[in-house]
Amino acid sequence: MPHLAIDGLNASYKNLKVLHDICLDVERSEVVSLIGPSGSGKSTLLRTLVGVNKPTSGKVTLAQRTLDYSSASSLKQARDSMAIVFQQYNLFQNMTVIGNVTIAPLKIKKWQRAEVEEHAHSLLQKVGLGHKLKAYPDELSGGQQQRVAIARALALKPQLLLLDEITSALDPELVGEVLDIIRGLARDGMTMLIVSHEMGFVREVSSRVVMMDQGRIVEIGTPQQIFDAPKETRTRDFTARVLSH
Amino acid sequence: MAYTFQFGQAFIHLPYLLGGALLSLEIAFIAFWGGTVLGLFGAYTLVYGSRLLRSIVQGYVTFFTNTPAVVQIFFLFYALPEAGIMLSSFTAVTLGLVLNSAAYLADIQRAGFLSVRQTELDAAETLGMSRLQMLRYVIVPHIARTIYPPLSSFFIWLVLGSSIGALYGVEELTGRALNIATSNLRTIEIFLVVGGIYIVMTLAASLSLGLVGRHVFRVRGGLLR
Repeated sequence: MPHLAIDGLNASYKNLKVLHDICLDVERSEVVSLIGPSGSGKSTLLRTLVGVNKPTSGKVTLAQRTLDYSSASSLKQARDSMAIVFQQYNLFQNMTVIGNVTIAPLKIKKWQRAEVEEHAHSLLQKVGLGHKLKAYPDELSGGQQQRVAIARALALKPQLLLLDEITSALDPELVGEVLDIIRGLARDGMTMLIVSHEMGFVREVSSRVVMMDQGRIVEIGTPQQIFDAPKETRTRDFTARVLSH
Repeated sequence: MAYTFQFGQAFIHLPYLLGGALLSLEIAFIAFWGGTVLGLFGAYTLVYGSRLLRSIVQGYVTFFTNTPAVVQIFFLFYALPEAGIMLSSFTAVTLGLVLNSAAYLADIQRAGFLSVRQTELDAAETLGMSRLQMLRYVIVPHIARTIYPPLSSFFIWLVLGSSIGALYGVEELTGRALNIATSNLRTIEIFLVVGGIYIVMTLAASLSLGLVGRHVFRVRGGLLR
């Protein structure tokens, strides 16, 4: 049984159907990237998995548990097991770095403070911000903020990490430091679903790549297949366009 | 003809003037908190209320921010007795300033509500926060931080604005200064001293508000740059 199984997922946004019958299996420790033109539903898929958008039908199973998106209380289960990092970092501006990372485990999960803090310290150490614990988000660069956001997501010990265009808002010279963290996570065996426009990175880090267009999955394959020998014309057009830049 | 300053004539009245200063602060304090609480309801309505309620509050704000406070208080003081409602001058002035401040403070707090970023709410939601936890850990601290500087300035403005009471015979700082000046005719000296007292009051207020702001809300500006 795959770690994450998405079966026939449909979603709408303001009466517009944005996801059509999405089926995708992700094995444990797999890194799967979603690519495709803007508006193709990649981010929507991540936001639907984590329950920001409500699916209209379909089934999602994560670590042998079927997720229920129907009510606020059942959504908790989905959010207990996965975490998302957004394009705009979305850090809490009124909290320090360590505050951002510890708030959810402390106040929502009510885990032991000593344990939570120790874990948070090691995570921030890992993303290279062990010296910025007391800094506020507006005192950090975009790349640093995004690394804090990754640490915040990991603090909940998720079984699945969703990354939604996490380098798109960064200055080019800051992209590398964030991607390095993700490479490290991939090596450590974190299961990840990634939406990214960094094609070089996608190719290097992904076990499989999913091409999406107009809310549908067009093609799934290894990076070599998708980038070097795509079967579908839409995939070929898209990769030719993005790789020519 | 050269003017001979006689500050002694002002300084012997210092305790009396300081008593007036205390009343000025009291008026400012009541007007501020009354206006903040009323304004909070107004702001909430302006952001989340139904169309009807919104236009009522918007009408209130438009009326009170586009007519002079002096005129509003005149109305409370002279028109309400015709309807059988007698207000002391202190009550009329304080009430007038509360109603007036409520309009400005509704606008300020409305900006605070609007400043909460959807992205932070998304993050809070996906981390698993409940509505109440979002309110407590994200929304309220955010609003407080955003509106703290304009609220501080407004309080300072109210300390000075309380001098409007003198027009209606309230014995706050300016009122008491007028009382002395009309009896000893040392108007210049007295108002120089009174000016000094106002400066000390507002400096002390903005300094302490600035310190609170810096340590509690991480805002910079004002006297503490």
